[in-house]
Amino acid sequence: MADATIPVPLDVYRFDPARDSAPRYQRYTLDLAPHTPVLSALLKIRAELDPTLSVRFSCRSAICGSCAMQVYSKSRLACETPVGPEVELHGRIVVEPMRNQPVVRDLVVDQAPFWKQYEGIEPHLKLDPAKPMPAGRTNPMSPEQVEAFHDTPRCIACAACFSACPAVEADPSFPGPMALAKLYRFVVDPRDTARQDRLVRIQTEGLWLCLRCHLCTDSCPKNVRPSERIRDLKEMAVAAQGATELGSRHAVGFKENLRSTGILNEMKLVRQTYGVVGTLGQVGQGIHVWRKKPEITKRPHPIEGAEEIEQIYKALDAEGDGR
Amino acid sequence: MLRHEVVVVGAGLAGQRAALAAIEAGRDVAIVSKLHPLRSHSGAAQGGINAAVGAEDSVETHIFDTVKGSDYLGDQDAIEFFCGEAGPTVVEMEHFGTIFSRAPDGSLARRPFGGAHFPRTIYAADRTGLALLQGLWERLGSERFTLYDEWDLTNVVVRDGRVQGIVAFDRKKGDFAEIASSAVVLATGPAGRIYAHTTNAHSCTGDGIAAAYDAGAELKDMEFVQFHPTALLETSILITEGARGEGGLLTNASGERFMIRYAPHVQELASRDVVSRAIVTEVAEGRGFAGPFGPYVHLELMHLGKEKVESRLQEICDYARRFAGIDPVTQPIPVYPAQHYMMGGIGTNRRGETNLPGLFAAGEAACVSIHGANRLGGNSLLETLVFGKQAGMAAAAYAATAPATALRATDVEEATAPLRRWSSRTDGEDPSTLRTELQRTMDRYVGIYRNEADLMEGIRRVRALRARFERVRVVDQSRIYNLNLTDALETGHMLELAETIVVGAYARTESRGAHARTDFPKRDDARWMRHTIARRAPEGPALTYAPVGYTRWEPTERVY
Repeated sequence: MADATIPVPLDVYRFDPARDSAPRYQRYTLDLAPHTPVLSALLKIRAELDPTLSVRFSCRSAICGSCAMQVYSKSRLACETPVGPEVELHGRIVVEPMRNQPVVRDLVVDQAPFWKQYEGIEPHLKLDPAKPMPAGRTNPMSPEQVEAFHDTPRCIACAACFSACPAVEADPSFPGPMALAKLYRFVVDPRDTARQDRLVRIQTEGLWLCLRCHLCTDSCPKNVRPSERIRDLKEMAVAAQGATELGSRHAVGFKENLRSTGILNEMKLVRQTYGVVGTLGQVGQGIHVWRKKPEITKRPHPIEGAEEIEQIYKALDAEGDGR
Repeated sequence: MLRHEVVVVGAGLAGQRAALAAIEAGRDVAIVSKLHPLRSHSGAAQGGINAAVGAEDSVETHIFDTVKGSDYLGDQDAIEFFCGEAGPTVVEMEHFGTIFSRAPDGSLARRPFGGAHFPRTIYAADRTGLALLQGLWERLGSERFTLYDEWDLTNVVVRDGRVQGIVAFDRKKGDFAEIASSAVVLATGPAGRIYAHTTNAHSCTGDGIAAAYDAGAELKDMEFVQFHPTALLETSILITEGARGEGGLLTNASGERFMIRYAPHVQELASRDVVSRAIVTEVAEGRGFAGPFGPYVHLELMHLGKEKVESRLQEICDYARRFAGIDPVTQPIPVYPAQHYMMGGIGTNRRGETNLPGLFAAGEAACVSIHGANRLGGNSLLETLVFGKQAGMAAAAYAATAPATALRATDVEEATAPLRRWSSRTDGEDPSTLRTELQRTMDRYVGIYRNEADLMEGIRRVRALRARFERVRVVDQSRIYNLNLTDALETGHMLELAETIVVGAYARTESRGAHARTDFPKRDDARWMRHTIARRAPEGPALTYAPVGYTRWEPTERVY
């Protein structure tokens, strides 16, 4: 446990909008045991070298969600990220504020965009007035129903996923991984009576903007796996409402397409996604693709072993989850 | 000037529950918190919440266990009320949306906890605090109120013998602001950070308790500080009592289950004060382990099996693996006691009322007292909700009839004059130096075992630090998110509260619950079955004593 100290150079993002015209990086070098968390290093800087460094923190044990930041370009909790591996890999540690939220000062960001998306999914039980809660006793819930939440109750709202998400960066209307994982938590809650409404609404409110890059799952310190829950929501939304949106039609077309030939028919997929009229708007793009890669505009023949793919689909259908 | 009918300071479980009660009573409510509500320290509570809902259990037994656990310093009338509210409180939280762990029949799962006759602790894996905090915050989300988050409380303004409002520092804006309100509920949590080894979050600096004390409120039983037996070595991160509730064992360096000698009937599930003293004694008598991060004993979970450990104790598996490089499935966890909970706090009755009209308190910041000299595990989450609601209701009722507040524009100037002096100095001490010295002082002189000479030295050192604090200097000249300023503010609060703890401990010449005097090893009911009341005076805390609320449980010797 106790190990010899190593010199740890930290390049810390500094920016005070009231005083600085541009951000800068400040180098601090500390002697630390390799297992020392980055947060402890930052607090040591504050206590011994520079009390003007601003950082948001509280519990130091990965439960309050305050200290998410970019450590060498990865979103994570500073309190549970040891300095040793970083120094070994890169020779220094670069510490920056989270992305997709404006900087207040130094490593502190304004989390308003994150909280707004969280509130946007209406994160509270919706009850049917005709079906009140059982008076004086708890709702029964089986251990299996608790399991169905997966690890979403572990979410500490640290926003590491929100910071890591390229879809949030590209389109601020995307709710982001945390809000969608939270939505999933309410959709599977047997006490909630708005499952159908929630699923229908999210189809047009950003569900299909997810890029399926899994950076959220990669960055989550509590193993909530938001991208897997977003996948579940997509399936539930299609099951609840049918493929009514661009995103869901694309996904369903993709699935049918693969099933029939074992290979994507890009032209057919465009029609399945946009519909006949909508496809007219894609003609320019089609010509462009035809010029660059004429082979993908041809109707594909079924690939060798396409019947095995059919077997896989049948097996999945038999499981009944429609995947 | 901002104005609200009820201002709740602190947004953990007690503050949120108070706010909800006041909103439901029709008041215009503001919540002021130094953290976003979901980052509150309530979320760090692991093991569970007590309610005697099992067929074999009864409210009566819960009352008895709590009275006994308190070492007969808890007010029995308040404890009766408290335990009676447990069942309805848990049901309400379940209806709000809390996701609890369940038994196969769909009822709430329960685990055994220290000092309890029956498995009474309802839980959500080992993140019960987080589950409740999410459930309550998400319930509050459908109500209308104003949230001022990342605001630090600096003062409670009292004029004409009653509360007029608060003054606070808005971190993000970098400005002081006043909020006029005739009713203020303080639910600001504990001051665990006055100790170096504490399970508490960095934010637990007792701001509300200190502000109440400054405003003339009575503090009760401050010398009773709980040390949790099983904090992770080096970081003092909490390893839940639920680990022992699930069957975890404590062993010393010879592999012996030493608790058999200290608590023959219930061993590892004795009350926290008993287990903490046992560990310290084992180490003092040479039967502990020694390492670079200090002495320790082992908490063994290996025999429980991978599946049970990883499902019921999921978070602490992560903590042990990430923060100590230990896998609890295959290795013992190195643990040692650390400061965990303050039984004392702002003195209230069971409606959350203090001695100051318009000032209410709840949760760990308050002292009703139901925990007396030692709190039972699983009773603090329950306390936040039961008494948070009571304080919110009482504040709402008071605000409905209170005369208009007389907060003045100059109140901010007056309240913040010292803070502005700290920033304008060109020399002086850094607050973190003083904080570190305070923490070492409290660990060394006001720890688990206490004696007259140590406590005398503790008083001397804390007073010397308080004198040095007069020359504290804030070097950060930027206003935005100035943590150097909030550091100084918090350090001042902690120094003031540390003095009440050590002075109270020095005066109490007996051993009761968590207050263990080696020079007075026996409980002395004739002289000391009474609450310590501390009021601010120019020369330091002025102590008086108040009777314990007594109904029907005769004090007997406490054996586990």
